[in-house]
Amino acid sequence: MAKPKVASDWLAGCSGCHMSLLDMDERIAAVIDLVELRSTPITDFKHPDKTGVDVGILEGGINNTANEEVAKMMRARSKILVAFGDCAVFGGVPAMRNFFTIEESLRRAYIETESTDESGKIPNDPELCVPTKVRALQDVVNVDVFVPGCPPEADTIFYVLSELGQGRIPELKGNTLHWQ
Amino acid sequence: MVNITINGKTLEVAEGTTVLRAAQAAGIEIPTLCDHPHLTPYGGCRLCLVEVEGARTLQPSCTLPVSNNMVVQTETKKVLDARQFVLTLIFSERNHFCPFCQVTGGDCELQNAAYHEEMTHWPLQPNYQPYPMDASHPYIILENNRCILCRRCVRACGELIGNFTLGFEERGAKSILVADTGVPLGQSTCISCGSCVQVCPTGALIDRWSAYRGKVTQVDKTKTICIGCSLGCGIDVLTRNNSLVRIEGDWDAVMNEGVICEVGRFTPMSEKCDRIVTPLIRRNGLLKAATWDEALSTISSQIKSSPKSIAAVVSTRQPVETMYRFKQLFSEKLGSEMVTSTEEGLFTKYTSSFAELLKHSFEGTLEDLKSADSVLVINEDLSHDHQVAGFFIKRALSSETKLLVIDQHENSLSKHANKVIKSTKGSNEDVLKALSAAVAKLGLTKKTAAIPPSELQSLTAKTGLLTDDYLDAAFVIASSEKPVIVYKDGVEIEALKAFADLINARLICLKGSANSLAASQLGLDGSLNLDQKKVLFVANGDDELSQKTIKELEKVPFKAVVASHASALTSMADVVLPSTEWLEQEGHYISSDGTLFSAKRSITPAEDILSPFEVVGKLAEKLGVQLIDDWAKKVHVRISPVELVK
Repeated sequence: MAKPKVASDWLAGCSGCHMSLLDMDERIAAVIDLVELRSTPITDFKHPDKTGVDVGILEGGINNTANEEVAKMMRARSKILVAFGDCAVFGGVPAMRNFFTIEESLRRAYIETESTDESGKIPNDPELCVPTKVRALQDVVNVDVFVPGCPPEADTIFYVLSELGQGRIPELKGNTLHWQ
Repeated sequence: MVNITINGKTLEVAEGTTVLRAAQAAGIEIPTLCDHPHLTPYGGCRLCLVEVEGARTLQPSCTLPVSNNMVVQTETKKVLDARQFVLTLIFSERNHFCPFCQVTGGDCELQNAAYHEEMTHWPLQPNYQPYPMDASHPYIILENNRCILCRRCVRACGELIGNFTLGFEERGAKSILVADTGVPLGQSTCISCGSCVQVCPTGALIDRWSAYRGKVTQVDKTKTICIGCSLGCGIDVLTRNNSLVRIEGDWDAVMNEGVICEVGRFTPMSEKCDRIVTPLIRRNGLLKAATWDEALSTISSQIKSSPKSIAAVVSTRQPVETMYRFKQLFSEKLGSEMVTSTEEGLFTKYTSSFAELLKHSFEGTLEDLKSADSVLVINEDLSHDHQVAGFFIKRALSSETKLLVIDQHENSLSKHANKVIKSTKGSNEDVLKALSAAVAKLGLTKKTAAIPPSELQSLTAKTGLLTDDYLDAAFVIASSEKPVIVYKDGVEIEALKAFADLINARLICLKGSANSLAASQLGLDGSLNLDQKKVLFVANGDDELSQKTIKELEKVPFKAVVASHASALTSMADVVLPSTEWLEQEGHYISSDGTLFSAKRSITPAEDILSPFEVVGKLAEKLGVQLIDDWAKKVHVRISPVELVK
């Protein structure tokens, strides 16, 4: 049997979940033996194969139209889609922005920042993506596996990837679910 | 008794028991959020839903009383699905994002419940409606965004404390927790007991000091008693890396049942004083660091050079072990006649002498106060010391217990009282006699009245009040079955006892500091007289003395002080010995109602710091005096105003 193809990407998050993945240390080698790693945000190959992958992993919530596109492409090209970390599962820290209007958040970020002088302005180039309310991944596309945690612990990630690598759907409970 | 079957297990439980309590008694776990064992059932969170045979819908087990032959299932798919759905609704209602909450990772009952149901996500997204946050209180932060509307805090504030500060405004999803009529918590009628924080299942009410300083999984817990006053409330002291994180009321403590006051919970946290960490000796006018041996030698040579003019004062916050060693050394071995406590018998003197006069104990206990159906509080304000006794009174008022306050001064309980007697002239004795006459006039006496009703008019006139005032007051206190009188030492005790006997009331004197009664039992209750005294030894520990006392002590030429913190007392001393504070030492305390409590050590002191118990022992050694620690016998020598319970 061919090794399952795995692709990953990050959206509105801090990339901490991918860093936590690296915390698996030498177990990464074991996971690499199980799967065929395709596109990731930290390797050269940037988009999941047009022919599809077995497992797509997305970190981060959806906070603009570009994130939406990436999420939809990953969903379309993956058999199993994993929401990886609190932002992907719930919206997480970026979703705190939802308690304000988008205009308020942009003003705070581009004009009212302490380090910004009076020339600060909100970018409005038509080529830029449009900010939206921050949503959990499941609000935009169907999600098959939820891995909560901020970030999920390396042990949990290893369990999830090794299960997926061996063709099983991971069931998070007990210690793999608990996040301290 | 009725029979109920839960998950196939048949139990016999008392009628009126809820299904939840029946299940818990049988060791069957049903998750809950709004339920709390010390609060009345509310049925607000719906997490405890169970399937009852024959019932159309799932039923909340916390409010459902058992009925005979009821068959209940708690783990069916329908129940488990409902729990997940309930949690989903709660999570999606407000800001329940765990990563930036103080209680996450073990302390949050909502998070724990979701883990228990093995939820990896919630299917409904939050509506991101911001709610107000209130950080106006010196100790407590009220964060409505974390609130799940379980109303535990509201129930604790009303049912346990009787303060009724917290309540809800608006309805449904708009409901917000407010203080009083919507004023900031810091400007409200809140008395800072912190019970709301202790019962809050989420991070909606957190205390500023302990926030982010350690989760339940990271702290050590020591069960001990509070020594803020003489009640002996059970507390849990939470420490991390040998430093204090938080103090909580001990739910298992028989007397206070989890409730403590500001003095017990928050005051120890907010104290910021300089610790004394090494012995100090005054050299050329300045206090300089010294060794223990040098310091003790200096004191012992002073004692030896003036054997007839030694005065010694011990704090009533010290354990009875320390007090007894102290008394033995200075009074019995060194023969000083000026050995007393920092309290000088101020809160026990008359009561204790009266017990000796009667030749038996005569006081009731706090259990009597808890079950009283009318209470007379005379000259005692329970707003600072002994607050928990005040909570017992205030919370009973909603169950028709009546309150009469007699005080010539402003009293914080007056606003809760059914009647207040605030005389403008005359003594308390006059007031009590007038009240006795009024009780006789109403025919409510339980024994032959010594003061005939005909004297009511003349006695009333002596106090500057109207006869109707006394008739109202008499009705409040005497028309019940179990009246209790709470008084402060100093009220004319004979008149008070005569009045108590007349209406068959129990008398309770709350006394002073933690070991007030023990000091009195050991005879450490004399007034300070420092004339002709040349050497003074004060075992102060972590007590705070009044300016008046400090001024008095200053008169003595040589002063040795055992103290934990720098203060006006240490700055005038000739020798200062570093002392442990209450959490760093252990020993026994006799509460105001005669219960013997053992205080445990929760923090290890720094190496050079000794407890006053050890200090007195070392000093005795230096002086070549042998001490015997048989305090347990000695406290029984004197007749106690309240029966001593071992």
